[in-house]
Amino acid sequence: MLLLKYLSKLLKELSSEAEPSQLAGGFILGMIIGLTPIMSFHNLIIVVLILVLKVNIGMALLSFTVFSGVAYLADPGFHAFGVWMLEHDGLQSLWTSIYDNEWWAMTRFYNTVVLGSFVSALLLCVPMFPLTIYLIKNYRTHIHARVQKTKLMQALKGSKIYSFYQTVNKVRG
Amino acid sequence: MRIKGIILIAIIIGIGFGLNLFFTNSWLKNKIEYNASVVNEAKVEFDGFDFSLFQLKLSWDRLQVTNPSNTMTNTFETGATEFKMEFWPLLWKKVIVENVQLMGFQLDTERETDGYFEMPEIDEEPGFFSELTSQISGEIAKNAQTQLDEIKTSVNVDSLLAKMDLQAAHKMDSLKTGLEQNYSKWEDTFKDNPIEKNVAEIKKSVEGLEVPKLKNPKEAIAALEDVKKLAEQAKKLKTETEQLKKDFEQDFNSTTSGVGQIDGWIKDDIASAVSVAKLPDFDVQNIGSALFGGNLLGDFNTYIEYLAVAREYGSRFMSSEEEEKIERYEGKNYEFSDKYDWPGLWLKKIELSGRTNTQIDLSGLITNISSNQKKTGYPILIDIGGSDKNNVSLSVKSELNYLGAEPKENVEVVYDGFSLNKAKISPSKLLPYDLKAGKGEISASINLINRKINSEMSYKAKGIVFDFESEGKPKNKIEGVLRDAISDVDMVYATAIVDGTSDKLNIKVRSNIDDLFVNALKNTVQKEVDAAKKKIEAKVTEEVAAKRKEVEKYASEKEAQLRAEYDRIEASVNEQLQKVEEKREELEKKKKELEDSVKGAIKKKIGIDF
Repeated sequence: MLLLKYLSKLLKELSSEAEPSQLAGGFILGMIIGLTPIMSFHNLIIVVLILVLKVNIGMALLSFTVFSGVAYLADPGFHAFGVWMLEHDGLQSLWTSIYDNEWWAMTRFYNTVVLGSFVSALLLCVPMFPLTIYLIKNYRTHIHARVQKTKLMQALKGSKIYSFYQTVNKVRG
Repeated sequence: MRIKGIILIAIIIGIGFGLNLFFTNSWLKNKIEYNASVVNEAKVEFDGFDFSLFQLKLSWDRLQVTNPSNTMTNTFETGATEFKMEFWPLLWKKVIVENVQLMGFQLDTERETDGYFEMPEIDEEPGFFSELTSQISGEIAKNAQTQLDEIKTSVNVDSLLAKMDLQAAHKMDSLKTGLEQNYSKWEDTFKDNPIEKNVAEIKKSVEGLEVPKLKNPKEAIAALEDVKKLAEQAKKLKTETEQLKKDFEQDFNSTTSGVGQIDGWIKDDIASAVSVAKLPDFDVQNIGSALFGGNLLGDFNTYIEYLAVAREYGSRFMSSEEEEKIERYEGKNYEFSDKYDWPGLWLKKIELSGRTNTQIDLSGLITNISSNQKKTGYPILIDIGGSDKNNVSLSVKSELNYLGAEPKENVEVVYDGFSLNKAKISPSKLLPYDLKAGKGEISASINLINRKINSEMSYKAKGIVFDFESEGKPKNKIEGVLRDAISDVDMVYATAIVDGTSDKLNIKVRSNIDDLFVNALKNTVQKEVDAAKKKIEAKVTEEVAAKRKEVEKYASEKEAQLRAEYDRIEASVNEQLQKVEEKREELEKKKKELEDSVKGAIKKKIGIDF
């Protein structure tokens, strides 16, 4: 029900209500969690950020789901990237100094997949944040109306689950 | 900022705090109690257990460790104890404790409830320690059988043998049955074998060849060919006969080997009769074992059991803890220093103070208890000691070292100065006397390197005076002899030495009164014992003599009979071989004669000499 609520809200906010930057923020934060191993210290911070900042939680959930699948395929690449970074001669003194700091060590940066995926995710944030904003704006102006008319959307709106959710939503106010 | 989000986080933290408050204590207590009980093989219980997640502090009011051999007592218990765990290692799931103060340590305390613990089934191969304790237990059981106090110096041999079932007679019966079956088999084999039939055929063929009737060389050559075939058949028969002999000898030897064992069977019966008659073997080792073996080796086994637990858990953690299984795409961890290379558990220092049940004030240190010594770089060291107001002292020093390739354990225990007043120095009925005075010392030194053991356990009783009066007059001759022998003894020491490996373990128990006892016994009752032994030997030999004669006679007669049968067959084959050879020579001669006559006729007719 919670997932449905956030997805429904996402659909609504995609149309016009939310700031595109809030949606894009949720998208990239969810992407980071999705791409990196979930039981990592940095993901705890990102979850807190998602809850505290005014980013779209539905978008974060969607992004997390999509990028978890991507990560499964990309993990060997993340591992190789992590190995390259951790074995890079020029970075050895940096790694050694932060390894001796317990707070940094808690992030498990010394794990090839954690480091590789996290740095990759951060690098992806740079193009993905403006790209998401651009796509949302384009969606609102060019695609949204057509999506509403699609058979899938009509079917979804006509489904019992959707009407039940709408009823519950009204009762809750 | 989203206010709802902040509230949600606050709620999650609150729930976490509540769960810790209500569930961590009992969960952790149960888990520690269960695992410790499995190690101890009896209940380990905490009272007033408390774990504070925020202070990282563990404390209890009382810890009881049940004695697995007597579950109504504790091996030891402690009073209020409190210690803190280091913060950062906990985040790496490692428990590191700098200092534990175990106050109110007490040995051998009574329990209010039974400390029996139902052990989970563990399918383990018997290892070095179980082999060791099993051999020691065997030695203790053997000592228990050496009841020198029940020995006799004379014996009624007839009534003794009437009670006994002499095994040699049964074994000889079985041997004879086996011989009968075997001989019968060979009789049939000789009777039914085709060799004799074939010999008869060859004989007939050879006799059918009438050499004088041959008229020309062609007939002679044909007859020679026949003879050659007969010679081959005869040789084949010879080979078959030899094989038959070989099989017979082999089978016969294995069957008759039992006859050679008869002496051994009779000796076993004699030894058994001597044992039943309780005629002793007055050997120094026997006396020492009978007097002190049970106690010394029993204590030794107790120490070994503790060391077995130490090694089992030391080795188990060493081998399994750091096995890093990398699942697919879990990545690889790099280590840039050894800063986080902690063992799973490391109690760096335990300061212990308390009192034994004999009121010795104990204090000492146990250092570096860890689940992986290779990570700490330190072995476990135990140094505990103390004394009471009467200078009775106890000292326990130990090193449990699993740093190298071979596990090493060393334990030194000394308990000295305790009073022996009204005590007995041996549970044996040979020394039934209480002591009027004396001080005791028990010491143990055990060194183990992997499967090698080098150890010594000893008892010393100093300044002793035996209370012979309370026991009254000696109950038998031996007791009297022994009493005289030790009447002037004021110090007794006994030592058990166990060394070697579990495959070849040497166990010796000696005491200073062994020689006294042996000499006293040899000078008095040894001759009577020897005479009784000879009587038994003669009687047992006589009892089985008739049976022995019968079996040996049967075996030799049957052997002679079968060998004669075989010799007959062999002779007939050899005879035919000889006849065939003679026939061949006769034919060769005849052939030459006929050829010569043909050549003479040709020369006569055409004048050419071939």
